[in-house]
Amino acid sequence: MNSIITVKGLTKTYKKVDAVKGINFDVKEGEIFGFLGPNGAGKSTTINMICTMLKPTSGEIIINNYDAKKQKDEVRASIGIIFQENTLDGKLTANENLKLHCRFYNVPKNKREKRIQEVLEIVDLVDEQNQRVEEYSGGMKRRLEIARGLLHYPKVLFLDEPTVGLDPNTRAHLWEYILKLKEKEGITMFLTTHYLDEAEISDRVAIMDQGEIIAIDSPASLKDQLGGDIIELSTEDNEAALREIEDKMETVEVKVEDDTIHLKVESSDAFISSFIKTLEIPITKLNIRKPTLNDVFLAFTGRKIKE
Amino acid sequence: MEGILAIWQRDLTKFFRDRARLFGSFSMPILFLLIFGGGLSGTMETMMSGGFGEESSGFNYVEFVFPGIVAMTLLMTAIFSAMSVIEDKNYGYMKEILVSPISRVSIAVGKMLGAATVSTIQGVILFLLIPFLGLSYSIISLIQVIPFMFLLGAALSGVGLLFASMIKSTQGFQLIVQIIVMPMIFLSGALFPVSNMPGWLDVIVKLNPVTYGVDVMKKIMIDVDSLPQTVQETMGLHITVFGRTVSVFEEILFILAFAVIFVAIATISFKRAHA
Ligand SMILES: Nc1ncnc2c1ncn2[C@@H]1O[C@H](COP(=O)(O)OP(=O)(O)OP(=O)(O)O)[C@@H](O)[C@H]1O
Ligand SMILES: [Mg+2]
Repeated sequence: MNSIITVKGLTKTYKKVDAVKGINFDVKEGEIFGFLGPNGAGKSTTINMICTMLKPTSGEIIINNYDAKKQKDEVRASIGIIFQENTLDGKLTANENLKLHCRFYNVPKNKREKRIQEVLEIVDLVDEQNQRVEEYSGGMKRRLEIARGLLHYPKVLFLDEPTVGLDPNTRAHLWEYILKLKEKEGITMFLTTHYLDEAEISDRVAIMDQGEIIAIDSPASLKDQLGGDIIELSTEDNEAALREIEDKMETVEVKVEDDTIHLKVESSDAFISSFIKTLEIPITKLNIRKPTLNDVFLAFTGRKIKE
Repeated sequence: MEGILAIWQRDLTKFFRDRARLFGSFSMPILFLLIFGGGLSGTMETMMSGGFGEESSGFNYVEFVFPGIVAMTLLMTAIFSAMSVIEDKNYGYMKEILVSPISRVSIAVGKMLGAATVSTIQGVILFLLIPFLGLSYSIISLIQVIPFMFLLGAALSGVGLLFASMIKSTQGFQLIVQIIVMPMIFLSGALFPVSNMPGWLDVIVKLNPVTYGVDVMKKIMIDVDSLPQTVQETMGLHITVFGRTVSVFEEILFILAFAVIFVAIATISFKRAHA
């Protein structure tokens, strides 16, 4: 597949902070590319540089074959972006907001109304389109912004934390819309999130921390790289249990966090039956699971992504 | 082009939806009309007839001050309308504009035309007071003056755009506006003649676009030529720069140049803006 975005040696230094420290990556045409990382990792800074809204300190960005530093207008016409913060005009109705967007992006006059209805349908706001946006709920506003981002058929749609501040139900719905879109339009999507489950829907994930990309791959192979299964348990005496485990058993990794022991093992099926028989300290809690992206993040940084 | 129209139309739509702003902005001009029209006109007219005797009878001070008060309304609303740029930044909408492929010049021009239109509308609404003030401008002159009001409004909104690009909060903007608006009015000849100002004040008068705007408006609205030469001079109708009397054409050219310079500055500020 062709790369639609190529980023080389990209850095951004604010007065005091090195927000982005020389990152390299590319995004393939038609994929969902996820940026996962904790607050302050540099996700928004990166997106804003790719979208021509922020001047890189150094580095190269090619998007849809245009140079984001020199061919700003061409880049702008190729992309749609849902910013982290609200950018709708509350005093205008949804329909008026969308109409303005069509005009900003030179959507042909005779196609405007049809496209507006089309995107409103995708996000289920047809009946509310003549209400002023200030009367909308947070979720409706977010949906409207997504609809607006699609209006000019962008090659790449950027979504910077599209679901932040929404309740789980609305979040789930929003992702339905986004996936529906991807299926229907085949748009390349570039999203950032610090919700792990949301990163899972990406074809590929870049894990970002403190201005650096520490891993890029599909969620499945990231987890496979980690290998094995994870067993979490609590016992009546964690200290003693830990000693016992380290003495007697074949584990890949052992970690204690709060009052839970985390074991990483090659295969839980082989391990667990003998484990339960051998361990003398009574177990109070036991949980076996596959690694998540959080475990990947933990493995790379030694910290958890705060949810 | 479409981008300019879109930005212009958005600001107009929002202006008409905001009734409070529409009516709130009339309190100042009406207050000034009461003071300068009712209060001062008697004094001024007595002074005139005292000084120039019979030949200045028929001189009506309110007729002179009314175009000035319309210009004052233009100034205030043009600059205040430019504040929409700050609001757009604070409410995030400016990002939607800046990330779109509209050229930065179009953004500046759209914003300028929006503010100019709003101020012209406010100015024209003041015409409704004409019959109540006992004035009698010809309808034709009132129609003729509108394009020049628009031009002045455009130049002045350029000043507003400049401040809007430098200031982050609407409160800060209002403060600056208050500091700048009063001198621009008082040093323009809008309310009283400024033909004999001391050195540095005279420089401000001659650089102030309101000076020329008001002069053009007066020359269109008032039948200046029928007034005695002495009255024309006392009322400051012959503006001289470097000892030369400027023509109406030159005045218009100055305002136009002023507008172009400020729209260029605004364009640069939008180019730099990385919301
Ligand atoms: N305008 C700015 N001036 C100075 N520092 C900034 C500015 N914007 C961001 N930063 C800093 O750059 C770093 C990266 O910020 P950024 O907004 O890109 O993080 P993020 O990954 O998007 O985080 P979040 O998940 O909270 O949105 C942070 O340390 C932040 O404080
Ligand atoms: Mg962010």
